[in-house]
Amino acid sequence: MAASRTPLLAIDDLHVSVEGKKILNGLTLQVRAGEVHAIMGPNGSGKSTLAHVLAGRPGYEITAGTVSYEGRDLLALAPEERARQGVFLGFQYPVEIPGVNNVYLLKAAVNAVRQQRGLPEVDAFEFLGLVREKMKRMHIEDSFLSRGVNEGFSGGEKKRNEVLQMLVLEPRLAILDETDSGLDIDALKVVAAGVNSQRSPERACLLVTHYQRLLEYVVPDIVHVLVRGRIARSGDRTLALELERRGYDWVTGEAA
Amino acid sequence: MSTPLTARIVEEHANASRALPPAGPTAARRRTALAALTASGLPTSRDENWKYANLRPLERLRFVPAAPAQPVAATDLPAAIPGFARYVFVDGAFAPALSAALNATATAVTPLCAAGDAAGTSAAPAHTPGADADERFALLNEAFATDGAAIRVAAHPEEPVRLELVFVASADAHSGASYPRLELRLESQAQLLLIERHVSAGPGASFVNSAVTVDVGAGATLHHYRLQELAVRAIVFDTLCAAVGRDACYRLHGINIGAQSARSTLAVRLTGERADLRLAVVALGEHQQVQDTYARVEHAAPRAHTEQVFRGISAGRARVAFNGKIVVGSEAHGTDSRQSLRGLLAGPEAEIDVRPQLEIYTDEVRCSHGATAGKLDENMLFYLLSRGLEPEVAQRLLKWAFLEDVVAKIGVAELRRQIEERLALQVPEPFARAESA
Ligand SMILES: Nc1ncnc2c1ncn2[C@@H]1O[C@H](COP(=O)(O)OP(=O)(O)OP(=O)(O)O)[C@@H](O)[C@H]1O
Ligand SMILES: [Mg+2]
Repeated sequence: MAASRTPLLAIDDLHVSVEGKKILNGLTLQVRAGEVHAIMGPNGSGKSTLAHVLAGRPGYEITAGTVSYEGRDLLALAPEERARQGVFLGFQYPVEIPGVNNVYLLKAAVNAVRQQRGLPEVDAFEFLGLVREKMKRMHIEDSFLSRGVNEGFSGGEKKRNEVLQMLVLEPRLAILDETDSGLDIDALKVVAAGVNSQRSPERACLLVTHYQRLLEYVVPDIVHVLVRGRIARSGDRTLALELERRGYDWVTGEAA
Repeated sequence: MSTPLTARIVEEHANASRALPPAGPTAARRRTALAALTASGLPTSRDENWKYANLRPLERLRFVPAAPAQPVAATDLPAAIPGFARYVFVDGAFAPALSAALNATATAVTPLCAAGDAAGTSAAPAHTPGADADERFALLNEAFATDGAAIRVAAHPEEPVRLELVFVASADAHSGASYPRLELRLESQAQLLLIERHVSAGPGASFVNSAVTVDVGAGATLHHYRLQELAVRAIVFDTLCAAVGRDACYRLHGINIGAQSARSTLAVRLTGERADLRLAVVALGEHQQVQDTYARVEHAAPRAHTEQVFRGISAGRARVAFNGKIVVGSEAHGTDSRQSLRGLLAGPEAEIDVRPQLEIYTDEVRCSHGATAGKLDENMLFYLLSRGLEPEVAQRLLKWAFLEDVVAKIGVAELRRQIEERLALQVPEPFARAESA
């Protein structure tokens, strides 16, 4: 069954530097379709770097290692191609883009994927209906439709917007970088419900988080601890609980 | 201060007596302007506010008014704007066949060649163009212009008056210059929506020198949309001098897209208490275009308000410049002025220069200014790419977004649509607009 299939995402011995500074140091990780992996780790350990490298952000130097996605070389693809192939990054710090309408961006993004698959563009009216329905699920108010991308959104609203985009785009691999940070308790539940609704045997999710609380709602299959650019420890969900109790010193000490 | 250039201008003026009759109502005015021009000379790139203008072509340009090169048909013109009466001028001369009927009711639109000084519209302009050294190109226009529009708007109880002036440049610079000219006066409490477009017919290597005077009377409201969309080989100098009276409101929207080389000088004086000015300029340069704007706003009365906005994008090897100066005179206490000037560099070889200047001669004022020039934001760009947008589309989208807040303020829907189409930088569909219920 699951174990026999090739992983959806296979990262092997990945080394990455930024401006000459080594950040990822031989990171190896396999994610199979259907799985949710949580990635935890101290500030500056390289979690966002990993997320950005997977999404194709420029400015990172990959000095060694490979990443394959659906059996193909992910690193060879341009960022927009990765998105069209179903890779989605929920940003830790979503940027505001005044003047570009939220719905326009959503539609352009959906049409980019559809074009890739040889499908016609979405019907504008139906699409709006679909967006409204998902907005309701994410508790996003109507004024969102007429606003610029993340323009004037609060921190929590930006995070919910990231999840809304994910719900609309239905990616095969979602990488959510601290999407739970800065959310109030109700918003956390809403976001968790959004993520859970995406779980399916075909899809996978990498959840970067600092908090065990999210993992109460979105139960991960595996928890990894990233320390100084490599996975220092992996385990089941109880690892998150143990980290909460004992702190990172426990793992970083071991990894040193 | 006679220079080889002014000597040649005088000579061409003398030889053009057929186009410029030595007698008649405007002859004296022409002579005066020519004398003033000879005394002052035209600006050079050594002059303070002319560093970014492209003045080199002056050496080879001819100054006599060009005879229209070819008949211009209605189909050569931009699509009509519903509700606006259109008046067309070809190479500076009124073209009645392409224009709405002239009327003399609340609004008087008079071709200057017919009116001369007799119509009284041009009597005692509130502000004499050419008085300031930066307005010397207006003198050139005054010395050579043979026609133009004199518009006088009286207070009207109901709807604002809607007029569109289309200045078409058809002649090649070899055969002479085109001198669009507009003298506009809004009487107390009058309301006018005015579209002023400068377009080309034919191949468009024209030399255009336009001069506009605006007088917004007490309590009057003027929304003035100026579009410079000349063909890519045209050379244009433009001078607008405006005076805004007590409690009057002037909204000036400039959209500069066309021409090979364009210089626009906007001089606005707020002469009445609580005068309210919003001056917004959008300029796009690509290839080797030069788009240079100098906007000088003078607060000469108390408690007036200015908002000056510039958005410019420079791509290719273009040079885009905006020099925005606000002068607060000693009598202008209670002035409130804001400047927001932003330039976007969209190519490694492009140039952009935005310069805010503030001169204050009184206390008790609120003046703020912000000026930035930079490249497309890489975080924004990556965000869009990470959502699957093509890099090319993402860049166009961000350029559009950069202009959006200014374009959104264009209140005439059809005009805004046409401008969006031109500016839209070919984005698949209008995306700035709300898609809500
Ligand atoms: N552009 C950059 N230039 C220099 N250093 C960088 C750059 N980007 C990241 N780094 C460094 O790389 C290290 C890892 O950063 P990263 O953002 O991946 O950490 P993180 O695990 O996501 O941390 P956090 O939990 O605080 O979000 C940090 O020390 C950071 O300062
Ligand atoms: Mg991070």
